[in-house]
Amino acid sequence: MDAFLAFVEGSDLSMWIRGDSMLAFPTIITLHTICMGFLAGASSAIDLRILGLAPGIPLDSLRPFYPLMWLAFAINAATGVLMVIGYPTKQLTNPLFYIKLSLVALGVWLVYRIGTEVLRAAELGQKATTARVKWLAVASLAGWVSLIIAGRLLEYTHRWELLGIRALT
Amino acid sequence: MDEIAPWEQFVRSTALHHFVYVNEPWLWPTCEILHYLGLSLLLGTVGLFDLRVLGLAKGIPPRAIHRLIPWGVGGYILNVLTGILFFSGHPDQYFYNDAGRLKALFMAIAGINILLFYGTTAFPEMKKLAPGADAPMRIKAIAGISLAMWVGVLICGRMLTWFRPPFFH
Repeated sequence: MDAFLAFVEGSDLSMWIRGDSMLAFPTIITLHTICMGFLAGASSAIDLRILGLAPGIPLDSLRPFYPLMWLAFAINAATGVLMVIGYPTKQLTNPLFYIKLSLVALGVWLVYRIGTEVLRAAELGQKATTARVKWLAVASLAGWVSLIIAGRLLEYTHRWELLGIRALT
Repeated sequence: MDEIAPWEQFVRSTALHHFVYVNEPWLWPTCEILHYLGLSLLLGTVGLFDLRVLGLAKGIPPRAIHRLIPWGVGGYILNVLTGILFFSGHPDQYFYNDAGRLKALFMAIAGINILLFYGTTAFPEMKKLAPGADAPMRIKAIAGISLAMWVGVLICGRMLTWFRPPFFH
């Protein structure tokens, strides 16, 4: 593991990402933040609609937002991989990183489930907002909130050491 | 840095500054989490409304998706409050910072844009738009400016770190 981390950390790409270029880390993390905000925000807005807010929005009419949400996810997967390449030890040795990754998987799976199941049922004229589907929306909202907490704390877990608290790494 | 400006001396003399300064280890990460939740809410609700007005997902009646806006306002208030805490904790980090100044400018333009939307006939005109209807150019321009400004605010917010004044540690 250490040899692998050292290999990644010593690569030209990793050093470029950590380097002084404004096109490197600053741009990567900015894209990651914008797309996170859009994906989590749009998905949460759809969840709120399923839970009964803004009932005037026909569920199937929300479909055109999905390609944009998938684009945001694709950009976040790419920028996420680049940030791990930039700081492999810091990320991959932190248990919180794997919690965040699991929350990403949960959030994206729920976007897919809600996108297919709920919106398609609405399109077919079936009852789309059953109690079960409302639980999916609640899980999605809770997932995004947890993901944001984990994502923000990733940036702090190495700093806890400086405060005398044992770091997670 | 030579001398602390009077406005900064004032900010640093407030109880709020002291509160942030003393509680920074837990308060700062907590506020960042809330700030990111707020930005996601703002981008997810105001962003989807703007995109509908611009012509995406036209099946949605604009007045129906406008019901999501109060949640975006909630996110905005959350971010103003946490932003005040950030600023009172380290005012120089934001004031002597080109990204911080640009962020304030974008927020001001977004604010004027909001006044143009709610203070003119744009708002009642928007409410009359039926599902499938194309919004008038004037309202589309307001939606486009809104989207551009909030993304700009986000970019500048993320870039604050790399434009800190040299004396800031």
